[in-house]
Amino acid sequence: MDKFPILSRFQYDCHVKVVETDVGETITQLAMNCASHSIGIHVKDQPGKVLRVRKTSDTDDQPPLRGDITVGEAGLIMYDCVDVYFSDPES
Amino acid sequence: MALLERNEWYDIARDTNWTPTYVSQENLFPPTMSDPYQIPIDEWETFDEPYKVSFREYVRTQREKDGSAYSVKAALSRSRFYDQACEGWASVLKLHYGTVALTEYQACQFQARMVRFGPSPSMRNMATFGMLDEMRHAQLQLFFPHELVHRDRQYDWAHEAAHTNNWAVIGGRHAMDDIMMCRDAVTGSLMVSFAFETGLTNLQMIGLSTDAANMGDFTFSNLITSIQSDEARHAQLGTPTIEIMVRNGYKEDAQKILDIAFWRVWRLFSVSVGIPMDYYIPLEQRHMSFKEFMHEWVNRQYVRQVEDLGLAKPWYWQHFLDDIENHHHCQQGGIWSWRPTVWWNPPGAVGPKERQWLEKKYPGWNDSYGTYWDVITENLLADREEKTHPECVPIICNMCQIPISNRPGKAWKARPYQFEHEGRRYNFCTEPCRWIFTTDPNRYKDHETIVDRMYSGEIQPPDLDGVLKYMGIGVVSEGGRDGYNYQWIEGFRSAAAE
Repeated sequence: MDKFPILSRFQYDCHVKVVETDVGETITQLAMNCASHSIGIHVKDQPGKVLRVRKTSDTDDQPPLRGDITVGEAGLIMYDCVDVYFSDPES
Repeated sequence: MALLERNEWYDIARDTNWTPTYVSQENLFPPTMSDPYQIPIDEWETFDEPYKVSFREYVRTQREKDGSAYSVKAALSRSRFYDQACEGWASVLKLHYGTVALTEYQACQFQARMVRFGPSPSMRNMATFGMLDEMRHAQLQLFFPHELVHRDRQYDWAHEAAHTNNWAVIGGRHAMDDIMMCRDAVTGSLMVSFAFETGLTNLQMIGLSTDAANMGDFTFSNLITSIQSDEARHAQLGTPTIEIMVRNGYKEDAQKILDIAFWRVWRLFSVSVGIPMDYYIPLEQRHMSFKEFMHEWVNRQYVRQVEDLGLAKPWYWQHFLDDIENHHHCQQGGIWSWRPTVWWNPPGAVGPKERQWLEKKYPGWNDSYGTYWDVITENLLADREEKTHPECVPIICNMCQIPISNRPGKAWKARPYQFEHEGRRYNFCTEPCRWIFTTDPNRYKDHETIVDRMYSGEIQPPDLDGVLKYMGIGVVSEGGRDGYNYQWIEGFRSAAAE
């Protein structure tokens, strides 16, 4: 499947990074994909936390996307930006 | 035969206006090249340059300046200064020459446009000297680093950079094409002479010259001082132009023109000056922080100058003040992390003592940028050098062409400011960069950043090697590595051992 770039706005990172994804990748896989370019590179890991993904907005208040849906189902297209952030597992 | 005093003949010799009979005034001075505001010609004849010089005086002075600069260079080329200079200072020189040398040649072409199309005879006269100035600057800043090419091939970027598609070069070219190469004489005189030269670079030269003297590099110090003295003269072309525009009802246009150019140049200036001042120059030789320099030399002076002319400081002034404390720290991290993509060897240079200094000069540095360098330092201490090389690229701003970045750590400020235009999505680093695009989308809409080119198929093969080659890395010279071979982490290793 053709890959396309989305923008990873990873919590605590300094840069917005270009991450290649495809429409069949799940949101959980996308979170791990983005994490591989930030955690241990420019961002410390947060043991015990889980990663969640939401569409980037001016007010940072978009709901998290479900982990089991795909990038295509979430409607993400080229150069869409997502926030990837640490969260408590229960929340 | 006795010569007349300059003031006895200057005005009549300078005012070479005439009434064209073979072509129309509009054909002689097309508005798109000359004055799109169509301010009456008698208004332009009131243009009075503050600093007057005759050609005879100009040649005599410039000959003395050149003689001085070249004699110091000759003396230092016999010394071993550059063999012994630290890589931090070498990075300052490589960055400076690569980004500036042929930009001076562009400036020469811009001055030539004012010489030909300036609506005021005084502007044309003064720009003639400016054109010769810029030619001299290009020659000096090509010739001096050429002396160093046999020691280190990266100095060849002084000549080659402008001919490549390196991402940093694209950033400079995008801005200079915008404010210098693709503007009419009037708009350009505000953007270049006032916002660029008066606002920022004239002062940059003063700071850089001081740093060079502190480093013992008297060749470079002398060179920069020599250039600065020219800039101080021809930069004054902007002020009379603004006065005439304001007087003729074009105050809002003048304000917009300055605000666009000042931000465009600032984004580059912060990287090319801020990073060297706060990171590349060894701690012992730093005479002031970039932030102190900006507040002391640029901010007050620029605001005073625009207000004296009846204009206001830019609408984005608060963004600008925040950027002074932020932008170059982010880009130091980015340039170091993606160091193979640049033509100099950027030192990380954030050991324990440097971090103390940064925290003192920029309170909160450790809690923000420090978290970024903590991860890098841990990787280096654990011999995981490969983890200091990201395997992706940062998204690039569609205006300044610089990676979209902002305060890391808990502040987590990095975000793209997006804009849709004619079905294409553009990414910007800040509100001002996005605003500039919206002032004239047709002007900017077709340009592609280095990242856009990766996904449009222009860069082939679209992999890391393909991108590096496209940028001239491995073609002109090898790319960058850590300037100090990671020696700056040793302080942490010692502390851990204790």
